[in-house]
Amino acid sequence: MSISTLLENYSEFRHFHPVDDVPHNPYKWAMSIDLDACSGCNACSVACYAENNLPVVGREKYLHGQAMHWMRIERYWDEDGREFPDQGAQFLPMMCQQCEAAPCETVCPVGATNHTPDGINSQIYNRCIGSRYCSANCPYKVRYFNWYDYPTTDNVWPAEMNQQLNPDVTVRGKGVMEKCTFCIQRVTVAKNNAKSEGRLVHDGEVQTACQQACPTSAISFGNLVDPESRVHKQWQVQKVELDKDAQTKDKEEGGSDLRGYRILEELRPYPSVMYLERVRETAI
Amino acid sequence: MNNVFDRRDFLKVLGWGGAAVALSGCGNGSVENGEETVVSYVETNDFMIPSISVYFNSTCAQCDAGCSITGRIREGRVLKVEGNPDSGINRGKTCGLGQAGVQHHYNPDRVREPLLRTGNSGEAITWEKAYALIAEKMNGVSGEEIAFLSGGVSGHLKVLLGNYLDSFGCKNHFVYEAIAPAVVRAANKKSYGVEMPRFNISKAKVVLSFGADFLGAWISPVHFSQQYAQFRKGADGQRGVLVQVESKMTLTGANADRWLVVRPGTEGILALGIINALGSHGVALSGDIAAAVKSYNKDRVSKDTGVSAEQIDKIAALLKTRTPSLVLAGSAAEGYAHGSQNAAAINLLNQVLGNVGKTVEAAEAVPFPQMAPATGNTVALKTLNDGLNAGKYKVLFSYATNPVFTAPGVMKFQDNMAKAGFKVVFSHYMDETAMQADLVLPLDSALEDWGTQVPEYLATCAQINIQQPLMEKLHANTRGMGDILLALIKQRRAEDYKKFDDYYAYLRAAVLQNKGALGGKAIADDDIFWNETLSKGIIKLEGPVKALSSKASVAGLMLPAPVAIDAQYPLQLIPSVNASLRDGRNANQPWLQESPDPLTTIVWDSWVEIHPRKAAELGIVEGDIVEVTSKNGSVKAQAYLFPGIHPDAISIPLGRGHEAMGRYAKGYGVNPFQILDAVFDKETGELALHETRVKVSKTGSRVIVVKDEGPAGGSQMGKKIAARLPSDKVKLSEEI
Amino acid sequence: MHRFLRLSVLLMGLFAAVGSYAVDAPQSEPVDPGIEGSAIDKSAKEKSDSGGSALSTWESKYFGLGSEGEDDNVGPAVEQPIEFPHFRHAGDADKGGMEINCMYCHTYARRSLVAGIPPVQKCIGCHQNIESVRDKPRIKKLFEYWDAKKAIPWKKVHDLPDFVRFSHERHVKRFIFQLNRPVQEVCGYCHGEVKTMTVARRQKLLSMGFCVTCHEKDHPVTAEGGTPIGDQAYWYSMRKPLIDASGIIKAKGPNDCSVCHK
Repeated sequence: MSISTLLENYSEFRHFHPVDDVPHNPYKWAMSIDLDACSGCNACSVACYAENNLPVVGREKYLHGQAMHWMRIERYWDEDGREFPDQGAQFLPMMCQQCEAAPCETVCPVGATNHTPDGINSQIYNRCIGSRYCSANCPYKVRYFNWYDYPTTDNVWPAEMNQQLNPDVTVRGKGVMEKCTFCIQRVTVAKNNAKSEGRLVHDGEVQTACQQACPTSAISFGNLVDPESRVHKQWQVQKVELDKDAQTKDKEEGGSDLRGYRILEELRPYPSVMYLERVRETAI
Repeated sequence: MNNVFDRRDFLKVLGWGGAAVALSGCGNGSVENGEETVVSYVETNDFMIPSISVYFNSTCAQCDAGCSITGRIREGRVLKVEGNPDSGINRGKTCGLGQAGVQHHYNPDRVREPLLRTGNSGEAITWEKAYALIAEKMNGVSGEEIAFLSGGVSGHLKVLLGNYLDSFGCKNHFVYEAIAPAVVRAANKKSYGVEMPRFNISKAKVVLSFGADFLGAWISPVHFSQQYAQFRKGADGQRGVLVQVESKMTLTGANADRWLVVRPGTEGILALGIINALGSHGVALSGDIAAAVKSYNKDRVSKDTGVSAEQIDKIAALLKTRTPSLVLAGSAAEGYAHGSQNAAAINLLNQVLGNVGKTVEAAEAVPFPQMAPATGNTVALKTLNDGLNAGKYKVLFSYATNPVFTAPGVMKFQDNMAKAGFKVVFSHYMDETAMQADLVLPLDSALEDWGTQVPEYLATCAQINIQQPLMEKLHANTRGMGDILLALIKQRRAEDYKKFDDYYAYLRAAVLQNKGALGGKAIADDDIFWNETLSKGIIKLEGPVKALSSKASVAGLMLPAPVAIDAQYPLQLIPSVNASLRDGRNANQPWLQESPDPLTTIVWDSWVEIHPRKAAELGIVEGDIVEVTSKNGSVKAQAYLFPGIHPDAISIPLGRGHEAMGRYAKGYGVNPFQILDAVFDKETGELALHETRVKVSKTGSRVIVVKDEGPAGGSQMGKKIAARLPSDKVKLSEEI
Repeated sequence: MHRFLRLSVLLMGLFAAVGSYAVDAPQSEPVDPGIEGSAIDKSAKEKSDSGGSALSTWESKYFGLGSEGEDDNVGPAVEQPIEFPHFRHAGDADKGGMEINCMYCHTYARRSLVAGIPPVQKCIGCHQNIESVRDKPRIKKLFEYWDAKKAIPWKKVHDLPDFVRFSHERHVKRFIFQLNRPVQEVCGYCHGEVKTMTVARRQKLLSMGFCVTCHEKDHPVTAEGGTPIGDQAYWYSMRKPLIDASGIIKAKGPNDCSVCHK
């Protein structure tokens, strides 16, 4: 876009989806993750490394909190003071929630992270100047900064390993912020194929890497606008609405028995990932 | 994915031999300096379009579960593996270990040339010289003087290997796996009549697992994970309940509705206690069973195991009301001197509950017994080790196993191995065993080799998996194991094998010979059948089914009383099997090193799990470097305070602590195999992995534990982050 | 008021950033000097002069370029293994050319991200039947490659930074199949007058500004005789189409960053 277009249409580029804008059409990518199915096995995380050219930072840098896992499994214990965790642990796959009013977008001084019409919070690497404001403002702490030049000076992909790199995903250099993209490269291919055939992307046609690997099929990904999509149906049944900061169902009788919820919804980032609560048996 | 084509054409098409490989974002070439070349071919096929991926089916070789994979190939390079949806085993899914398979293939530390030991270093030699050397060393050696050690093998490789050894009259094929469910196999054989029945988790309403980490590293975890997901949804809307009994929480335990910590080794006692309780809940028990469990009343069992009487009652009530259920005997139950007894007692519970034939199902067998998997165990290692110690073997071969790393230190395997006259190791990397070899023969990676594989655990039907190259070989001087064996057998029986130029030709001929039996009756053309087979990557078969015996027997069931605490070595060492590193053969794949352990979230290092109560007693805090000492040695590692472990036990994960095997494995963590006590299961002779007694002492130094878990240490700080609902509130049947 | 203030602060940032970006853009240089190497073309960076960053320079430099057929930005002369005469193969008949469709050789253009270089097989396919030029040095060289079964190591002429995703397929479909424009014209939008060249040289800038000048123009979605591709509703909803006096639906190209930046 030229600078003049940018100036003229500034508000169009800096909006709060979908609150004061037209609804997404024909695509709004969203996810739902069933925590009762998730076993915390880490397959999603490794699949993400494989798909998205994530560097392995090594022991030292991991210690400094510089791990680059776009998808991480958080592990929580019950906090009721029992001696043994006799109801197991709680696992939570955490990645960019693709917020509709993303706190990271508004603070980027160069507009390197912004909303796509598909409802994905995109990160434009070559535009990023590495101010790290976005990371500071992210309530989920899912943005990862390249503190080092992993491809060259750090030689994370020594000869042969570099042949594994996915050509559809940029290999990021030093000073760039990065994060989960909902595997936008896969979405792009699916959209391209659909467009060539004069149709929209079918439900299930595009899978994210984590979803495809997940041995318990805990992750669903799809088009929230498409009433036929699994994700749309799941959100509907769980009465979770994208553009609410407090769900109506929580005030209804029995509404809180529905498992769907979004993390830190009260901060009003309007995340695009719905989690389904883990269930624990009462009879035992 | 369904392209039918000639595989050799495919490889020929890629004939621009690596040099012109266009690396994504990795070269510093540019138009200006003329370094950036365009991907160009001599000839093309319709399916080879630059920038568009093609997919080929093969089989994952990261563990023995036999998941079928689909490799994504672009511009001649394999970029990623996904699961093949047509496989009944993994149904399109993969685990983290499987995903890391590409890092086995592209590993920078692969051996590239045959290496001959000269003093303390290896000299690169040609394959001709290597083969000639083997022929020379094998000359005049009798069959008894040859030992072939391998990991689990199956399919045509096993046949070829058998024929090679037969040509010497050699019967010494030792199949060794350090963490195989060997005791459970034997117990299953006794209880059900087969070693490996099908465990249908998805059909069960309750799963009671005694230390079976079926979501992590047990038998066929990807298959079980999918079944688990169905089990949680419930066929009729009633959500399955998982109860896990173990002394150290596994990944499966972390997902249980009720995780019960038991005193190490008392799993069998608890199983009998539950049978007893079932009896008092009105489940009919046969006379001999009732007699056998009579003394296992709630109070005694509660005292022995540490599980409350109330909890035992609850489990019995649940098992009685919700049927069918499924009881699993896992590696935690079998790792004791009385492991067979533990497993037998647990299997008995299945019979009492009438699960045999319902959730414990008969499995089909592959109708070619010669291809059925030779499954590994630790008895094989012990026999070999004794033989080596006695100086019985002049030539020792080792393939797909790393005994110098995985054998307990007390066995002194490395010293004994040196007593063999000539040691040949077939290996991808210079691992600890290869370092001891006289001749190291470099292998093709699993993603560039041909082969067939028959999984031990046949999840839905009998099947033969096809392994085929997903790209051209990376290194010119590596060879496929099949090709090596073919070359070796030609030294012995040149006439019989001369018609096979290579292992590919052998494999093709072998498959086509049995075309009818392999599902190709209707296809007249050999090429079409062969190409279709390769394209599918799986041959599904109708195999014989051996019915399970459901007759419960308590003959010989004898469980020892729990061992009193040893004053000198007061703690039980539980060497834990982590889903990604397992026995350590994949420790040089950096994604796995950096993939946090799900429970502790620790990366790149070993740790000692210790219960906070015990830690407080010993004055240990997180990060203290502690020395864990057994009768057979000691290791030093960082302490991690972990609530999911019995206070009288500590746990160190297996798989790390390599002294060789390349940059990503060497020097990270410690190897608990080295300090194991040599205690064996009384019936099967298997190494009892959990029988080591240790003491823990502080060394005085402290480190910061490198882990993913934040400073809150697993607390949600009052926010609704990972939320949970009680089962009586949710209506799963109304969900999508 | 607050909102306005915030907006202007942000815009200041944008000005500065976009301005500096723009200067470097033709050489595919990112804003941050730290990102180099893998993702970004290094040598390009060395070349770029980091002189004045005035917006006006940028505007004139890039928007001036939008006009047709300007050859003022000819890329480096790349030495190719065989000096391939494009003018002979693709040139106009009255100038001795064969008028071969670009996509006869660059066959992947309509179905892939890249246009592709023809395999040696394709050259031989015709040339084995053209006896008249068999003894020409270039053809001899070609047959040498073929006999040795070696791929010809063609050098890249048009190259985009690795963080850019450009799809030949989309543009070919959009303008050749949907809008019925002549093939050589459409390819020429970005590749210039290749039909007059021997070995191809870069004529157009292929910078972000170059792409954007075209993307922000209103192009007809369908032309007479053109096949509508894709969901028309898509164009209405996404691209805010215009309908001109003659009833032709027009729309801009996508202007979302993530469409081109991967």
